[in-house]
Amino acid sequence: MKISERKNGEVVVFELAGELDFHTSPELREKMQAVSQKPGHRMIVNLKKVSYIDSSGLATFVEALQKAKRSGGKLVLTDLAVSVKSVFEIAKLDKVFTLAASETEALSMTAA
Amino acid sequence: MDAEISWSIPADSAELAGVRARLRAILGSAGFDDKAVGEVLLAVDERLSNIIRHAYAGRREGRIDLKVFFQPHQARISVRDYGERFNPLKAPLPQLPPTQPGGLGNFLTRALMDEVHYDETCTDGNLLHLIKYLKNKKPAA
Repeated sequence: MKISERKNGEVVVFELAGELDFHTSPELREKMQAVSQKPGHRMIVNLKKVSYIDSSGLATFVEALQKAKRSGGKLVLTDLAVSVKSVFEIAKLDKVFTLAASETEALSMTAA
Repeated sequence: MDAEISWSIPADSAELAGVRARLRAILGSAGFDDKAVGEVLLAVDERLSNIIRHAYAGRREGRIDLKVFFQPHQARISVRDYGERFNPLKAPLPQLPPTQPGGLGNFLTRALMDEVHYDETCTDGNLLHLIKYLKNKKPAA
């Protein structure tokens, strides 16, 4: 799993590539937690190059979403592959997260 | 024709990607479509993660045996460990969508397979059989 982090204005964008599982999710969790500590943070996670996700990956995002809600922050997930989105759907998490079709759309959602 | 493939791995999360790659190749060559292969990969991955996390509590010296057994209309993946005994089929299913992180792994293993059986006769660890029908058709009794 490759995790790159950049800033677009005040928004932190994580771009992931590879497979997100029980082995790789702790590193992402740690990086997202560092951002989540800031009240009112805005975060986008681009999953375009993620080919696989398991429950550990889902849990990482659920935890980040909880922190965002508690601190007045925002978390938007974007560019989910069909195989990845289907795992969110099985767990009914597609209705809980803000999902965008592109990073441009995600940026507008974090501003809203 | 029936066929069987078996191998063992250490109880280490670094092994998960390799197991998925091997299972993908095995199931794809047996005629399972991409959707079914993806479901089996996730179900088995969740079972292995559960064993590493709970049955062995992170002890990497633990061993996990995998066996893929093909019959004309189905694949059966048997996952054996020698850690703490726990029947995942007796665990309550989580509320969906979950409001707390965690607790989805056991649900995914059960939801994505056509049959899941826990072998109660296995007394020194756990043995779980995960069954997927070929093209989602239950074999004739």
